Amino acid sequence: VPGAAYWVTVDFFQALVAGLLVGGTYGLMCVGLGLIFGVMRVINFAHGDFMMLGMYAAYYLVTGLGVLVFLGPYAAPVVGAVLAGPIVFVIGWLVHRYLVSSVTGARVVTAEAEGHYAQIILTLGVALVLANGGLILFGSMPISVQTPLSRESWEIGPVFLNQARTVGFVLAVGFAIALYLLLTRSRLGKALRAAADNPIAAAYVGVDVDRAHSLAFGLGVGITAVAGGLLAMSQSFQPYIGIEFVIVMYAGVVLGGMGSILGAFWGGLTIGLVQQMSTLVLPHQLQNTAIFVVFLLIIFFRPRGMFGRVWERT
Amino acid sequence: MNLVRMLAALPLALGIGLGLAGPAAGQTAEVKVGLIAPMSGPWARQGDLKLKGATLAIDRINAEGGIKALGGAKMRVIVFDAGDSVEKAKNAAQRMVAQEPDLVGAAGAWLSSFTLGVTEVTERAELPILTLSYADQITARGFKYVFQTSPVGGTQAKQALPALVKLAESATGRKPESVAIIMDNTAAPVSFVKPMREGGIAALGLKLVMDETFTPPLADCTSLIQKVRSSRPDLLLLLPTAIPDDKLCLEKLHEFGLGRGRVPVISNGAHIAAPDMLKNLGKDLLEGVMTIVANWSIKGQDAIVKEYTQKTGELWPTQETMSVAGAMLIFKEALEKAGSADRRKVAAAIRAMDTTAGPAKYFPGGRVKFDESGRRVGADVVVVQWQNGVPVTVYPTESAVAKPIWPKR
Repeated sequence: VPGAAYWVTVDFFQALVAGLLVGGTYGLMCVGLGLIFGVMRVINFAHGDFMMLGMYAAYYLVTGLGVLVFLGPYAAPVVGAVLAGPIVFVIGWLVHRYLVSSVTGARVVTAEAEGHYAQIILTLGVALVLANGGLILFGSMPISVQTPLSRESWEIGPVFLNQARTVGFVLAVGFAIALYLLLTRSRLGKALRAAADNPIAAAYVGVDVDRAHSLAFGLGVGITAVAGGLLAMSQSFQPYIGIEFVIVMYAGVVLGGMGSILGAFWGGLTIGLVQQMSTLVLPHQLQNTAIFVVFLLIIFFRPRGMFGRVWERT
Repeated sequence: MNLVRMLAALPLALGIGLGLAGPAAGQTAEVKVGLIAPMSGPWARQGDLKLKGATLAIDRINAEGGIKALGGAKMRVIVFDAGDSVEKAKNAAQRMVAQEPDLVGAAGAWLSSFTLGVTEVTERAELPILTLSYADQITARGFKYVFQTSPVGGTQAKQALPALVKLAESATGRKPESVAIIMDNTAAPVSFVKPMREGGIAALGLKLVMDETFTPPLADCTSLIQKVRSSRPDLLLLLPTAIPDDKLCLEKLHEFGLGRGRVPVISNGAHIAAPDMLKNLGKDLLEGVMTIVANWSIKGQDAIVKEYTQKTGELWPTQETMSVAGAMLIFKEALEKAGSADRRKVAAAIRAMDTTAGPAKYFPGGRVKFDESGRRVGADVVVVQWQNGVPVTVYPTESAVAKPIWPKR
């Protein structure tokens, strides 16, 4: 029979693995918000609700409408989660194009607080419409994407790696790196950053600022929708789930540092690690308290977050 | 008159027409009962299940000729959304008593904390309200118009553990020795576990090997189930109050090789036996899981269950469905006895009621009689167990539709 020391060691590594795997999905959510809030400096309170749309998109592709059933119970949920991205990208692009665009970009350069007040009100409204519209459209029953991945694990000695979470972690890292490269290495990325840094100057050099903002908004919510799709394998959800995650997302972006995509990922990952590993020394009731204590400590010692840059509009 | 004006005048004309076709003065065409429950927000599903239960009973009552003592008056349910907070629930109650002064009674409001707020309003309006909420406090305030059909939380806790130990012993021939608790910190599990922690567990000769409380919702259940893995209890009291947390814990138990009976799981509340669980987890992971509830479909209710599933498309009725359907029948019975749609007379008829027929068939124990505080006499806990994809009543024996299968370790 293993002794107490054995279980203490197993508990530690199990919590570490859980923290990394949960944190990976948080990281991807934060990356999506990091693009909208951190890079483009647009406040989006509906971000959690776009994630909810991603969860439902994955659910309907895999279980509800069964479009991806032919891929089998292992591949279908993963493909469903990835496809939720483009679906929610289109929704996000349209929402920005016809609603949010009136309070972002060149129009609000001279507005009070750069249009942030209007953004808060507008996106809160969008959040309410999405959550309640979801209730009408999808119903109140909690659902999830059923897959054996969520109840099976790979074992490293006595430590279990949940398959759904591990696949989610790998995809999350992949998407975060891809977005980082897109923003730093591509012409599109430069245009997005220019439109955020100085909308008027960007317009002078031929950047379509409104289009750039719409694209960034669509991309941001699309990426978070992928995270939602991955989460939908492990977690049951209903139309009100967005609000549970939106605070974590903002904390992650600020923790990682405004304007840094990789920072946002690290921010999310740190939140996951603190949340899971705090249970080794603190009661479970204090999991989320631990997150915000660590958050405050990091912000106290590094006000710009872990990877933040000095940010000033030129 | 142009077309637009004609169309505008149409509803008016129809309204007048309907008014003329209404009942003659003095006759009661219909009696209205309020249903106050969360119809939006995270608990909207429970409100939906309650409405389905109310509709089932009222359709039956109306099809059988309505309230005979009131000349065949039809019953109608009027829904009020309690929303997602006590404040919203209380506001809904105020709207209910203000907008519908001719209600004969109400049922609600699912969450104990909502019911506590709502009954403050209904008591002042002298509106009888029937509730399935568990909290002891609901009927401990000296109110005259509140009737609790469920066994209260304190009673459930005292009855449940000895009942489960008895079940385990009778099924395996061996008495369990250790128990673990995983619970969230909401009101229901806290009041459920309190008497167990305060000597109830020790009195049964059980050793508490793990006691963890979390703040819902869970992001992941690994650290909790890891502790179950290292402490290996004979029984696990798994007491979250929401389906997402149930799913995370049960899947993690399975992943860690502790599922499907290796560690017997006992829960509290109807959420873990809802059809939603089957859609989220599948029947294999639920096999053998037990839960302690206040009401469920019991022996002799086959026809009701069949009618409900056919009409609603739901897989089976839950605690919410049965209790609210029973509540509507209690109102029907009280209206027949009172011979009046006066809410005070209806309340008096409920207070005087003592029956083992009609509405009593919808409640375990088979009797509808309320004591002075408004608690149903003889209300006992029901133990429900998942067997082959269906949660069935296994305790008390006289209400059971199947024998309990104690999971093998």
